[in-house]
Amino acid sequence: MLSLTLRKIAVLIGTMIGLAALTFLITNVAPGDPARLVAGPDATNDMVETIRVEYGLDRPLIEQFGIYMGDLLTGDLGRSIVSTRPVIDDLARYVPATLELVLVAMLLGVLIGVPFGMLSAVYRDKTLDQVTRILSISGVALPAFWFGILLQLFFAVRLEWLPVSGQLPLTSIAPEPITHLILVDSLLRGDFETFREALSHIILPAVVLSFPCLASILRVNRAEMIEVLQSDHIIAARAHGISAARIVTVYALKNALLPTLAMIGLRFGWMLGSTVLVETVFDWPGIGLYAVSSSLASDFKPVIGVTLVIGFLFMLTNTFVDLAYAWIDPRLRSAQ
Amino acid sequence: MRNWLFGVAAAGLIVGMAHADKAAAFERVGDKKVVVFGGRQQIPVLDPHVRYDWSTRMMQQAVYDALVKYEGDPAVIKPWLAKSWETSADGKTWTFHLVDNAKFHNGDPVDAEAIRYSFERGLKLNKGVAWMLKDFLDPGSIEIVDSKTVRFNLKTPYSAFLSFLPWWYVVNPKEVKANEVDGDDGQKWLTDHAAGSGPFKLKRWEPNVLYEVEAVADYWKGWPQGEQNRPGGVIYRIVREPAVQKAALQRGEVDIVEGLTPDDYVQIAKARGITIQDHPGMTTFSIKFNTQQGPTADKNLRKAIAYALDYNGLVQIYNGAARLQTSPFPDAIRGYVNVPGIPRQDLAKAKEYLAKSAYPNGGLTLEYYHVAGLEEARRIGLLLLDNLAPLGIKVDIRPEQWPNMVAKGSKVETSPAMSSVYVTPISTDPDAVAYQYHPNSYGQYFAMSFYKNDAVTAMIDKARRSNDWDERAKLYADIQAQIVEDQPEVIGMMQDRRWAHRDYLKGFQFSPVRFTGEVDLYPLWIDAK
Repeated sequence: MLSLTLRKIAVLIGTMIGLAALTFLITNVAPGDPARLVAGPDATNDMVETIRVEYGLDRPLIEQFGIYMGDLLTGDLGRSIVSTRPVIDDLARYVPATLELVLVAMLLGVLIGVPFGMLSAVYRDKTLDQVTRILSISGVALPAFWFGILLQLFFAVRLEWLPVSGQLPLTSIAPEPITHLILVDSLLRGDFETFREALSHIILPAVVLSFPCLASILRVNRAEMIEVLQSDHIIAARAHGISAARIVTVYALKNALLPTLAMIGLRFGWMLGSTVLVETVFDWPGIGLYAVSSSLASDFKPVIGVTLVIGFLFMLTNTFVDLAYAWIDPRLRSAQ
Repeated sequence: MRNWLFGVAAAGLIVGMAHADKAAAFERVGDKKVVVFGGRQQIPVLDPHVRYDWSTRMMQQAVYDALVKYEGDPAVIKPWLAKSWETSADGKTWTFHLVDNAKFHNGDPVDAEAIRYSFERGLKLNKGVAWMLKDFLDPGSIEIVDSKTVRFNLKTPYSAFLSFLPWWYVVNPKEVKANEVDGDDGQKWLTDHAAGSGPFKLKRWEPNVLYEVEAVADYWKGWPQGEQNRPGGVIYRIVREPAVQKAALQRGEVDIVEGLTPDDYVQIAKARGITIQDHPGMTTFSIKFNTQQGPTADKNLRKAIAYALDYNGLVQIYNGAARLQTSPFPDAIRGYVNVPGIPRQDLAKAKEYLAKSAYPNGGLTLEYYHVAGLEEARRIGLLLLDNLAPLGIKVDIRPEQWPNMVAKGSKVETSPAMSSVYVTPISTDPDAVAYQYHPNSYGQYFAMSFYKNDAVTAMIDKARRSNDWDERAKLYADIQAQIVEDQPEVIGMMQDRRWAHRDYLKGFQFSPVRFTGEVDLYPLWIDAK
């Protein structure tokens, strides 16, 4: 198990370096002149050159690459040419907001997807099953951008139940950070008003983000449950007179959950990438929004930084899933 | 089953807790109301000598003062930190007398040294606003006459000098110097701090989310709306999507927005409690031709295209909220003339010019670049596609990200045959527009046409150095006529500037010299209980 863990970590580090190199080259080869953009619409050529020199953009690409990779090994992700702040500081500000959103969305996906997948299998081809199937197809098919605006118009403008966008009301101040997750920190600090406000702000973006994930979990869980419910040990349990509810929730669900867990791992990484759209619609101050505004301004260093963070979290999740699989199933451990 | 019931009850509790209050009509700080502005663009750097764009400058003007200020429609330069000024007969020396009561937010007086330091800093950094004065003013040529008098000694006369000063904000030298890091002239600190004397001081700076300023109760210039009505502050909140801006305004989460689509403005104008500000703007739209390379180097082809375009269609794209240009200069610019014979749609004339060109039967495809996501510019491309078909000219519509478009247009070899470009002049002086047609502007987005006419260049140079308005007016009239004749671009239209706000927001003052979306926050207030 230890050697497997070490191997996974080595692969993780190697992939991150490769990802950094690839992203650096792609972003720098792409057309666009960030120095001219930052210098302003009326800037003279020598003013643009001042910016170029300040950010090392006047150097050959290979030299820029060498400096970037060298800095990266010391944890320095460079400076945003637009905001002039270190990218690492910006990421420290934006990553917790994204993680909070993704975790709540994931929670929604699991809490709704698993039981409804289960019920859908139990009541196969009945009304409930038909409804959940429509729900799951919609979840995969609906564009997040459109769905988000639709929810805003209905729940925020029409019903006035929830706020349109943002993470907190304008005049609210986030609680003193402990975990940097506002929902958690406000609870830990006993600030229930801020918790309520933060919850009201996160619901709509989390629902939009969770919808495709919920749909996938629901579909996978339904399919697995249908298969498990037809297996011999379930038939034997029924013959022993065990209650239907117990058979479904204890015997069948546990067996059906393994593929669902794998789906959750995959969907976590997918959700991180999807925050780009959801955070833009809801003005959620996370890395997705940061990536969008940076790429529109050809601000390369933040784009690389965001790519690395998403890549790292994606790989970390998958590494954990791999390790969890190996831990749960000894056959996989010995095979590796 | 009990577990399920518990789960449902818990979910219900959470949803109930999360249920937001009905949107408050406005935010408050203490007994003062706070104006909330919803804008699409972030404010990455507040330093007044490093950056400017509409959102940045709006916030800079809230926390800083300048020697003079643009106000009103038409825009007029009014005394601000300077109570009066005079210029020498040769136009090279400008002397400003400062008001006695102006003070920075920390209580330091605004004196001649602060003016000298601010201008020197701007010129030395060679960023942001520096281009406006660097050709005419050396850092060492600003002289302190006494604590309340400062003199600028220009290298050569520059008639537009005063027109740029509203954008040169004055910083407190003591505060900036105290926050210098490694000789950076305080650039790092001034990115998200302020050292100004303006009507507001900085309160909260949350990058990519919101920026909040707090009203200075004893602002040296006083408050035009009166102490009782003055706001407690302003929150600039980033709301990127027009649809979301509209929703936030309807719900009362913001008091004023700037970025709705033309269709949104039409729709929201019918909503209760919403007022639309619709004013003739100074931002011009043109389709720039590459006049030096490719098919559009042929003047007759350019003329043919200009006569083929349906100009009324341009205005319709903005639902009527635009006016056709009658000169390359916007009409709010001093020295503007209505140029006779400016092209309007005339297919016979278009075919006549095409016949004289190197492409008498058409049969060519021209690229039309526009900023990706800018719906109006895309629709103008479609209009062009339709209008040029009778000439046998195909149009290849290419959306492009703004940085890439700027990069393309910076070199004559890569500048597209046709590019849609919106330009807002920085001042009301004609030099601000005329210089866009000077070869020294090559490389900048508004000079994508790489226009070259030696006679026009000479006139621009002469006019900017002349101290005689009559002489300048004559030169600028000739420049406008010659540009129309040379057709380096399709001279299009000026779209209206529009904002939508709650009707309890008062004090809105339009000035055409401000950038798109930019509002003077100083006179705003909320008239509601």
